[in-house]
Amino acid sequence: MDSFLQSLNIQVITDIAIVALRILIPILGVIVVFQCYSSMRRQRRDEKPLIMLENAANGQVLPVLCWENSVGRAKGNDIVISDDLTVSREHCVILRRKEGWFISDTGSKTGTYVNGKRTEGRAPIYINDEITIGKDTFVLKRAQDYTDVNRSWFYRKEGGKEGIAPFALMMLISIFTLFMATEACLSIEATDFQPLIIFAVFMVVAWAFYIVSTQVFKRVGFELEGLALFLTAIGVMLSVRQGLHQTYVQIIACAIGMAVFCFMIKFLQNPDRVNKWRLAIMIIAVILLGVNIVFGSVRGGAANWIMIGGMSIQPSEFVKIAYIFVGASALDQLQTRKNFIVFIIFSAICIGALFIMSDFGTAVIFFGTFLMISIVRSGDYKTVVVSIVGAIFGGLLILRFKPYIADRFSAWGKAFENSADKGYQTARVLTYAASGGLFGCGLGNGYLKYVAASESDLVFGLACEELGLIVALTIAGAIGGLFFYARAITTKSRSTFYSISACCAAGLLILQTSLNIFSATDILPLTGVTLPFVSVGGSSMIACWGLLAFIKAADERTYSIKKR
Amino acid sequence: MFVFVLALFFFAGIIFFTANISINAGSWVQHSYNGHLSGSGGLEKAGKIFDRNGVVLAQTADGERYYNDDYETRLSTLHVVGDNSLNISTAVQSVYRSELTGFSYIWGLEMPETFRGGNNLTLTIDSAACKTAYEALGGMEGAVVVINYKTGEVLCSVSSKSYDPNDPPEINEDNEDEYDGVYLNKVLSSSYTPGSIFKLITTEAALENIPDIDSRTFECSGSAVIGGNEVTCMSSHGLIDIHDGLAQSCNIVFAQLAYELGRDKMTEAANKLGVNSSFDVGHTPTVKGNYNVKNADDNQLAWSGIGQYTDLTNPMQMCILMSAIANGGNRAEPYYVERMGGGDFEKQYPSEKNGEAMLESDIAQKLNDMMRYNVTSNYGDSMFGGLTVCAKTGTAEVQDGESNDAWMVGFVRDEDTPLAFAVAIEDGTFGISTAGPVAVAAVQACAEDMLANG
Ligand SMILES: [Zn+2]
Repeated sequence: MDSFLQSLNIQVITDIAIVALRILIPILGVIVVFQCYSSMRRQRRDEKPLIMLENAANGQVLPVLCWENSVGRAKGNDIVISDDLTVSREHCVILRRKEGWFISDTGSKTGTYVNGKRTEGRAPIYINDEITIGKDTFVLKRAQDYTDVNRSWFYRKEGGKEGIAPFALMMLISIFTLFMATEACLSIEATDFQPLIIFAVFMVVAWAFYIVSTQVFKRVGFELEGLALFLTAIGVMLSVRQGLHQTYVQIIACAIGMAVFCFMIKFLQNPDRVNKWRLAIMIIAVILLGVNIVFGSVRGGAANWIMIGGMSIQPSEFVKIAYIFVGASALDQLQTRKNFIVFIIFSAICIGALFIMSDFGTAVIFFGTFLMISIVRSGDYKTVVVSIVGAIFGGLLILRFKPYIADRFSAWGKAFENSADKGYQTARVLTYAASGGLFGCGLGNGYLKYVAASESDLVFGLACEELGLIVALTIAGAIGGLFFYARAITTKSRSTFYSISACCAAGLLILQTSLNIFSATDILPLTGVTLPFVSVGGSSMIACWGLLAFIKAADERTYSIKKR
Repeated sequence: MFVFVLALFFFAGIIFFTANISINAGSWVQHSYNGHLSGSGGLEKAGKIFDRNGVVLAQTADGERYYNDDYETRLSTLHVVGDNSLNISTAVQSVYRSELTGFSYIWGLEMPETFRGGNNLTLTIDSAACKTAYEALGGMEGAVVVINYKTGEVLCSVSSKSYDPNDPPEINEDNEDEYDGVYLNKVLSSSYTPGSIFKLITTEAALENIPDIDSRTFECSGSAVIGGNEVTCMSSHGLIDIHDGLAQSCNIVFAQLAYELGRDKMTEAANKLGVNSSFDVGHTPTVKGNYNVKNADDNQLAWSGIGQYTDLTNPMQMCILMSAIANGGNRAEPYYVERMGGGDFEKQYPSEKNGEAMLESDIAQKLNDMMRYNVTSNYGDSMFGGLTVCAKTGTAEVQDGESNDAWMVGFVRDEDTPLAFAVAIEDGTFGISTAGPVAVAAVQACAEDMLANG
């Protein structure tokens, strides 16, 4: 018996604990992300029509489902009037605001009439008003019948279990982070309690945010915030054993990001207010880029940093938020040509500025987002213009790319052959990612952390190495899932502004994640960009929270349930 | 739409990466810069490595990797066993590191010590024979390989220069000349100008393509003009047939034959006998040799038939050719690792797979007899102390003309000691005087072990 106890010495016990943690961390990570998304799928109002349009001639009823509805002959409209050639392809928009319902003609040939009077701009409409579009006249009716139409597959059917409560989700994330901190404490090189101190600081920030969100703003959902906290926690814990200073900066940036998030949700509440600020936002963005070009300092080949009072910031990160603001707008403004041209000019300025700074990774993100926004909002003729402009941009991209990152292209797919020079980083990412196995070699035990940029551009490899492939894939899944969520909420969002901004913010985050993961792992020959929420980098962290706000704002619950 | 494409691209990329890492993780981790493996790191829990007679060549004690107690045994087996680094990429400690350390992709490389367990490897080599061969080299650089041509087991494999794995040298800019090629297992990874041993390949081409070759005679007057330029011979052999031509290693006979056979038939024979091929030894491919006369003029074609011009061959490749000649045309499939853990591993018997037919059995038999005649008529049986050996030596002028590559290749014609061998030595004088004694020492040591231990 004695010898048995002796054989179970302290070494063996810690080893067992380490292995247990390594297995528990991925399991918990998967549970957190799964709970977030399954909760998103459950919490959804029924999709019944808001009002009805009854055709005065034949009694046929058209349901009005959205807060903003396009009306016209073209198939892409929310309400299609197909058999009448006097109706324009995009004829008008019926939209709802706090004050009530409006109708707005969007440049139709034959005009839109309310009770026999031709409308100009936004005209208020009331129940039992007669609206004339082309040859047909419709009477506005209240919606009474329940019809289940156009339900996105993303959402579950009614009934079944309730989604996870925000409090429970926060607890899960806290335990997950605690496990990571404990594992980091037991690392090979250093055994101390610094990771636990970091854990405590991070938890104070996270729980403060939780309390503000649920108690002060009385928001119901916490899934998006949960995902962001989950990713941030991973980034913070990966950073602990690399440097304490950068870790604290990361937590502070996260706190600022949370504030930006709350502010933006408040700001986004009224899409028309956003529209008024559009020009100002554009000007601020251009100034930011201008300051960057003039005062920027070079780091890692790109001059995308400026120093302000001892802090280094990356203006291009904040311009991402501005870009979404400018790109998205309400449906009735969206269909005007001027609005779109302004957007194209702004895009050209942004991408051009990024080229001057040699920040090609971010330029690709902007270009991808530009295509996304154009396609999401475009009518027919615009698509053609956009494609042409897009192709020209793409061509310019490649032309400008060549001299600068020819090295990267030449080492593409041959990381190991060039492991001493051109493929240095990618070869190490692959080797160390493979060394981690499914469960990782433990936080702080990795070797990739000694390679430059491992905390930012190569962080996916670091996650593979120290936390294992399962956690790394969970990170990818957490961000990738945003796409489906954004798609689902935007089909019936309050305003096209929300639909477009949420979809494109999600698209931007996914594009950025793709670029980060695929360039680190030698699938794409590009320069690195940061991995949203996970990479160390203050500006990037704040910008990610800002982008998340667009998605949050598109969720109907964000504003509606609060009032109860 | 674009957003859909993007999401599709994203998930496809993630799946691609996952598949890629699942398949390739084993090889991705095997790089010398990998911090998880450097030092004796990664080998702290590795299993033991035994030779065929149970001699421990490498083992781990108290987290340190130790190699065989005997200094010369360590040096002679270095390139087969490997050291703590991954510098010798073909050594079993590099190739089978995962198996030795118990690496599995599921757990990665940093499993806590309590849960790590490695496998033992048993090699096919006889460390005593390796030591004998290394001593016979006496500091000369080159490669020695002896295999069992019935089973494919590699019994002796030595690459020199070598170093002590218990005390590996720091190689830096100052001493890199001194240690040039030290990380190569020359048996598998070096190729040399073959010189006269290439006459075996020219002979094969002649036997196959010239029906009356046995009755043909050639005239050697010490030199001849072939293809518009001179080809020289070591002596003036007078009237000579192909049998004596091979035994006396007359350049004129084979230069004449190569010229007569032409580029296509010579290339065909070289390809058939594996000169331009790579052979898998276990999981390690041998370096390819070279026979390319596409741009050669007629005189160069003639020189190529006597193993000069741009010809190159690799020791293991020549040893495989010897096994084919000894085995009636079917080549052996050499391997270094007999067992892993308890089970058989990478074991491939020609008797089961029946090797791969490399040349026709009647031609193999003729070559076999001609190589035997080389020994009886020229080298003398006494040299091999009672073994019935068939062999061919080679002395190749290296391109720079400063020194010679000395070769001896051959096999033992005996059911009890079926040994095929190849010896290549850099900076030698003559094949017979430089490579001969080394080959004899190595083959005799292997034969003794074989007779003693069955
Ligand atoms: Zn001669």
